Amino acid sequence: MKTLTLLSLISTYVLVSSIGIEDKAGQFFGSGHTNNWAVLVCTSRFWFNYRHVANTLSVYRSVKRLGIPDSHIVLMLADDMACNHRNPKPATVFSHKNMELNVYGDDVEVDYRGYEVTVENFLRVLTGRLPPSTPRSKRLLSDDRSNILIYLTGHGGNGFLKFQDSEEISNVELADAFEQMWQKRRYNELLFIIDTCQGASMYERFYSPNLMALASSQVGEDSLSHQPDLAIGVHLMDRYTFYLLEFLEDIHPASTTNMNDLFKVCPKSQCVSTPGHRTDLFLRDPGSVLITDFFGSVRKVEITMETINLTSPVEQVEDKPVDGDLQRETHSYVDQLPVSEIIHQKPKQKDWHPPDGFILGLWTLILLVFFKTYGVKHLKHIF
Amino acid sequence: MAAPLTLLLVVAVTIRAALFRSSLADLIAERVEVVSPLNAWKRVVEGLALLDLGISPYSGDVFHETPLIIYLFHFLVDYAEITFMIADGITAVALYIAVKEYNKQVFRKQKYALEADRYPLDCLELIRSPKEMYYIPLKVAMFYLLNPFTILSCVAKSTCGLNNAVIALFILCTIKGSALLSAIFLALATYQSVYPLTLFAPALLYLLQRLYIPVNIRRPSFWWYTLQYAFMYLGSLFVIICLSFFLLGTWDFLPSVYGFILSVPDLTPNIGLFWYFFAEMFEHFRLFFLCVFQINVFFYTIPLSIKLKEHPVFLIFMQLAVISIFKSYPTVGDIALYLAFLPVWSHLYRFLRNVFLVSCVLLACSALFPVLWHLWIYAGSANSNFYYAITLLFNVAQILLVSDYFYAYLRREYHLTHGLYLKRKDGSEATLVLK
Repeated sequence: MKTLTLLSLISTYVLVSSIGIEDKAGQFFGSGHTNNWAVLVCTSRFWFNYRHVANTLSVYRSVKRLGIPDSHIVLMLADDMACNHRNPKPATVFSHKNMELNVYGDDVEVDYRGYEVTVENFLRVLTGRLPPSTPRSKRLLSDDRSNILIYLTGHGGNGFLKFQDSEEISNVELADAFEQMWQKRRYNELLFIIDTCQGASMYERFYSPNLMALASSQVGEDSLSHQPDLAIGVHLMDRYTFYLLEFLEDIHPASTTNMNDLFKVCPKSQCVSTPGHRTDLFLRDPGSVLITDFFGSVRKVEITMETINLTSPVEQVEDKPVDGDLQRETHSYVDQLPVSEIIHQKPKQKDWHPPDGFILGLWTLILLVFFKTYGVKHLKHIF
Repeated sequence: MAAPLTLLLVVAVTIRAALFRSSLADLIAERVEVVSPLNAWKRVVEGLALLDLGISPYSGDVFHETPLIIYLFHFLVDYAEITFMIADGITAVALYIAVKEYNKQVFRKQKYALEADRYPLDCLELIRSPKEMYYIPLKVAMFYLLNPFTILSCVAKSTCGLNNAVIALFILCTIKGSALLSAIFLALATYQSVYPLTLFAPALLYLLQRLYIPVNIRRPSFWWYTLQYAFMYLGSLFVIICLSFFLLGTWDFLPSVYGFILSVPDLTPNIGLFWYFFAEMFEHFRLFFLCVFQINVFFYTIPLSIKLKEHPVFLIFMQLAVISIFKSYPTVGDIALYLAFLPVWSHLYRFLRNVFLVSCVLLACSALFPVLWHLWIYAGSANSNFYYAITLLFNVAQILLVSDYFYAYLRREYHLTHGLYLKRKDGSEATLVLK
C-alpha cells in the first residue's frame, strides 16, 4: 500500500517539477538510517580546562537544536564548570567572549559527570556492555539503523587521549571499540569528531566500515584555543569547535549542506592547525551525506493528498425513535485488567489471638495458686 | 507509713509520665545501656507485628522474649507505659513490704540474742534500734523508684522492669515464708531470664531458717524440705514452659530465649563483659570461653551460701549483684534492683571502706557511657576499646561495692561475737582483713 502511494507521489512530482526529483528520491532512499544518536565527551577536569566543557556543550546545544532528543544523547562531562567555585558567573558556560552565548542553558542533561567519565565507562557505553543496573539515560541503545555522532575533546597526544588527568585511551582501543560496535550491529554510519592536539592520530587506526572522522589538527600539531574572556579568566573555546559552532548555527533541520562543507570548516588561516578528515572507510560519497544525517534527527515524513479507506469502517448507530424515546448503545472498552477487583482488594488483617486452651490453662493455674495460698477464708488476715 | 509511700509513688509516676511525654523517650529507648537485645521494647512490638502477619516471632533474630510476655502484651500493647509504671510500682511496694517484714525479723532475732547475752559488752553501739530502722522500707522504695537507672529503664519500656517486679515479688513471698508462692515466682523469674536460678539457694536457706530446720547435710529434715521446695520450683517451671508451648504450638521459644541467653550470639555493645571478648575471639575457642563466662555467674552461689548460711537475705542481695554484673546482657535496670537494697545495710556504713571511690567511679562511668559511645560511633575519634574500658571500670566499681558490703557485713558479725575493740594476744590493737 505504501509503496503504491510513494510511486504515485513520485509520478506526481515528475509531472509537477523536474528539477532534483531524482536527487530527492535518491536522498530519500539514500541514507539508510532511521534514528540518530550522539555521544559527546569532555575528558578533562579543572577550571583551566573550561574550554573543553564549553566545546562539548556547544556541540550538545547544536545537536539538540537540530532535533536529537536528550534520550538519544549521552553527554559525558568530566567536570562541572557552571557550578565551579571559580566561575564568576555561576550556572553559565559561555562560548564566546563578551558572554554572547550561554551554552549551559536550562535544560542540559549530563549523563556521566565528574569521576564517572572514565575510559572504561566510555568504552562500555560504546560497546553496550554495561551492568544491568545502568539506567537508560546512561546507555547507548543504538541499533543497526542508527547514525551516531561521537565527539571527543580534551588533551591528547600522538595516539592517545587523556581522561581526567589519570588515564588515557589509545587509538587502537578506540578502533577496536568501533569494530565491536560494527560486529554487534550497533551503528549504521558513524561520524567521529575529535578536537585535541594531534587529533588525527586518533583516527589513523580505524578499520571498520562506515566510519567518517574529522580532527582539529594533524600529528605533530597542537590545537589551539580561541580567545580568553577577561571577566571569566580562562579561554572559552577551542578554535576548531568555535568555528564548527559558527558553522552549525547556520544549519537548520531542512538544510541540505553536506559533509564537504564541514571539511572546509576552520582552514589553517583561522585555526593555525590543519584540520584533517578521513573518509576512505565510508561507503557513501561525502558530498551526498547531509550534515543533518549526523547532527540532527530528521524524520522522513511524506504528505499525501489522497484519502485512504480504513479496513473496518465505524458503524454509525442510528437512533430509531420508537414510541418517542431514543435507543442508545453505549460502547466501552473491554477491561484488560480487572482493575476494580485489584484496587478494592485489601489484605484482611488477621489478628493473632492466643489459643483458648492457653488462656484457660493459665488462669486456672493462677486461680489454683491463689486459693491454695490464701484460702478464701484467710483473705482478711493477709491484708 | 502508707501515706509517704503513696506520695512517693505519685512522685515517681509523675516523673515517669513527664518523661514519657517528652521527646527524650525515643532517645532513651535506643540507648544500648538501657535496652539490650533481650528486653528492648522495639523488639516486643516487632514480634507482635510478626505474629499479626502470621509468622512466628521466633523466626529470625529479632524477638527473644518468652511467650508469656507475648500473651501479656498482646492485650496491653496500647497501655505499655502504664504497664511499666505499674510494674515499677509493684516492685517498690513489694520491696517495701519485704524489707519491713525482714526488719521485724532482724529486730526479733536481735532481741533474743540480747536476752541470751550473746553479745559482748563493748559492741552495744552496733545494736540496731527500731527508731533507726523505721524509715528503712521507705528508703528502699525511694531508692528503687527515684533511681535514675530505674527511671531510664521504665521510660525505655524495657521488659527488665517486669523481670524486676517478678524478682521483687519472689523476695516478698520468700520473706513472708510462703514456699509455694516463692517457688512459683522464682520459676517465673528463671523462665524469663535464666540467671535467677541462683536465687534458689538463698531462698531455700531462708525458708529453712524460718522453719527452724537446721542446715545440716546429715539431717533428713533438711533434705526433705529441700526436696519439697525443689519439686515445687521445678514443677512450676515445667508447667510454665509447657503452657508456653501451648501458646504458639511450637518449641521455637526454647532456642530463641534460652539458647540466646546462654550462647550469646548477639554482640551489640552493652554495659556487660561479654561483647568485647566474644567479638574478637577465634571460633574454636568460643565454646570454651562461653562456658567460662557463664559459669562465672553460677559459680559464686555455693561458696557464698556456705559462708552466709545464717544470713540468707544478704545472700540474696549479693547474688542479685553477681547476676547483674556477670549476666550476658545486663542493663541499668538490673543494677537498679540491687542498689535498692542498700538502705537495708545502712548500719554497715562505719565499716565500709570504699564509699568515696565507688560512688565517684559509678557516677563518672555513668556519665561517660553516652560520651564515649558518641565519640566511638558518631564522631569516629574513639573506638570500641574506649567504651569497653568504661564498661570494665563500671563493673569493677560494682564488684568493689558488693565486696565492700560483704566485708562490712562479715566484720560486723565478727564484732558481734568477738567484741568491737579487738586486741591481739599481746594487747595491741588488731585489724580485721578479709581474705
